[in-house]
Amino acid sequence: MVKKFVLAVVMISFVAIPVSSCFAANQKNTGCGLGSLIMQGNDGLAFQVLAVTTNGTFGNQTFGISSGTLNCEQPGKFVSREKTSFYIADNMDNLANDIARGHGEYLNTLAVLMEVPEGSRTDFYTLLQNNFSHIYSSPKVSSIEVLGNIESLM
Amino acid sequence: MALFRIPPFFLVTLWCAFSAVSSPAQDSAYCEELLASAAEQRLHEDRYWHILMHYQDGLFGIESLVDDPRFFLSLKGKTDPKAEIRSTIRAFFEQHENENDSAVCRFPARFEWISERLDIDPDRVPFSSCRSFENFMEMARPSSVTLVFPMAHLNSPASMFGHTLLTVETADRTKLLAYSISYSAVTNETFGPFFAFKGLFGLYPGYFAVLPYYAKLEQYSDVDHRDIWEYRLNLTVPEIRRILLHLRELESIASDYYFFQENCSYLLYFLLEAARPSLELSDRFHWWLIPLDSIRVIEEQGLITGTSYRPSRTTKIRFLASNLSEPENTAALAMTDGIPHEDALKCAGISDQEKMTACELAGEYLQYLYSKRRVSEETYQERFLSILTARSRLGADQGAAPRRIAPPVQPDRGHRSDRLALGAGVKGDDAFAELRIRPAYHHLMDLDDGYVEGAQLIFADVALRYYPEDRKLLLESLDLIDIVSLSPRDRFFRPVSWKFDTGLIRVDRDHDKSHLVYQINPGGGLAFGGTQGGLFYGMLETGLNLGGALEKRYAAGAGGSAGLIRVVGGSWKIHARIRDVYYGLGDSYNLFEAGLQQSFAISPDQSLQADISRRRTGDFYQTEFRILWNLFF
Repeated sequence: MVKKFVLAVVMISFVAIPVSSCFAANQKNTGCGLGSLIMQGNDGLAFQVLAVTTNGTFGNQTFGISSGTLNCEQPGKFVSREKTSFYIADNMDNLANDIARGHGEYLNTLAVLMEVPEGSRTDFYTLLQNNFSHIYSSPKVSSIEVLGNIESLM
Repeated sequence: MALFRIPPFFLVTLWCAFSAVSSPAQDSAYCEELLASAAEQRLHEDRYWHILMHYQDGLFGIESLVDDPRFFLSLKGKTDPKAEIRSTIRAFFEQHENENDSAVCRFPARFEWISERLDIDPDRVPFSSCRSFENFMEMARPSSVTLVFPMAHLNSPASMFGHTLLTVETADRTKLLAYSISYSAVTNETFGPFFAFKGLFGLYPGYFAVLPYYAKLEQYSDVDHRDIWEYRLNLTVPEIRRILLHLRELESIASDYYFFQENCSYLLYFLLEAARPSLELSDRFHWWLIPLDSIRVIEEQGLITGTSYRPSRTTKIRFLASNLSEPENTAALAMTDGIPHEDALKCAGISDQEKMTACELAGEYLQYLYSKRRVSEETYQERFLSILTARSRLGADQGAAPRRIAPPVQPDRGHRSDRLALGAGVKGDDAFAELRIRPAYHHLMDLDDGYVEGAQLIFADVALRYYPEDRKLLLESLDLIDIVSLSPRDRFFRPVSWKFDTGLIRVDRDHDKSHLVYQINPGGGLAFGGTQGGLFYGMLETGLNLGGALEKRYAAGAGGSAGLIRVVGGSWKIHARIRDVYYGLGDSYNLFEAGLQQSFAISPDQSLQADISRRRTGDFYQTEFRILWNLFF
């Protein structure tokens, strides 16, 4: 009886390794609202063990350089508003954090993108903080609406 | 056969003439002139050419590490620097409808360098610069480069091995908008063993990727919960230009990815050398390249001018929680559970500043829960917004300076990765001398400065013992892989601690019966505490031993272990532990051991260690004592 129990425990502990070994890469939860962040993959014990050899650098998407910028065919400059809009879409949640606090790196970057002069940044931050619930007007607010709401304050 | 008798220079002329057919304006004479000049200057032997082509001297001569045929303009290019430089010069004379298909755009670093060395007349080649690249440079105006090192994942010592990437900051933008450049293997493999095997033997292609730095931060800081170190490099604007020129050449070009040698950190060496050819990085011989060690090498070359620390979300949550009292932490947790802030923040005597911190903590923690999929998207959106609305109404911070997280010891100031240990001890009645060597990486008993507390990653640790009385030299143990992750649980984080150990160990059944067996020993459990108060843990484990000396050649069993690790005064570390395993299958016996390990760090790279243990194997009792001097190098 005891032996069977031990056998079962040992077997389960070993079998559990390959079963949990799926390296599900991070998935981007698509959308442009709050909560569109990368979701964590499922790393089981075996993946952890095997990750010794992987430097943890594996991804499952080919981000060619072109998807960045080096090869961009666009005439030299994006329209500035478009750039801001992409930035907000990609950083909805962290930007919300900073706006609610009235300071932070994500808010500072927004000010740079929107070309707010350095002298008026403090006022800009206070303005956004005071109007947080106007900017992030509903749980389903989209990044385009956020940008529009910010612009309407200026 | 007649063809072979044609003198080589004629073939060259022919080639240049053919190129000229498609572009009548080009003169083949000029092409020939440049080829002759390149040969005369022996450009193909120039170090810079070897950097741009990733050529390495190997056992069988020169070979490029790049494996994609599209990277070479000559069929012999992978192994023949001269053939490749000739084909490259010829390619500059080819006419293309789309400038981006021209050699000047595909290989702009080669063009700039060759053109400078041979003084190429821009009016006599079809394309004298790559407009799309120049447009990009004008738009981005790169100003500085930083080397980025994400530390280990939460609860994943394996990731301690780390990763390095570069970011290129631009003149008019913030750090978040910098371009991150990283090299990694690309795969959809989901089955762990294949994944490891293929990675070790270069069966995955590696590519460079460029993304905005904020996207990398989202992954490392917000999802993987890795603290990040940024090392500013002193590269000048022309040097940065050369990095980007070379990067453009590597766009969607694959090199076989080898975890240990040709990995993320190694490929960055070529970018840095392309920037500043006087650097000596890629030529160094190494069996393996640990990303953290690559930072030390880059530092030795005088590139690093400063560091900064970027805490992960987990670190921020722990820091915010440490600034609040227990009832205030409870209030923050209540808000993440959906209790309205008016009710949650009703604690007696809570100041506005504390309310702000509680809201910030609740927001960060909710983001953490969401990234772990512990709340649904709808719930997350609703609660996140209501917490942040409450925070915004409290206004600006009242403290004079914003609260900052004190940076820990930076990783490159911690102990080095290789360890050599010399020591002596007594096992039962027998005295022995011991020699241990391990290439990587961090033991629970090593000083934690620069590493993650409670995390151990040991790789190929070999221990030899010499018993003078019997004149015997024995392999004492070989730890192939020995990982321990003790991740303390608190009100916010409830990780499961775990271990996995495999290798050769000794089983002593009697005085003169000591046998090597192969063991696999996984375990899982819980840990509490951490830092000054000490880290307690308890684990359930199983064990499988295989070896001819065992009855039925194996023993399988289950048991548990528990211990306390504590650091006293910064450099003295104590680990008290017990372990009890019942082997019930195959060879049946009980193994019980109790031990006390102590180590004292003399400097980051030296320590003294004293271990005492008492062990019962079946009905055989044994006591062992040893002292080790550890040198990290």
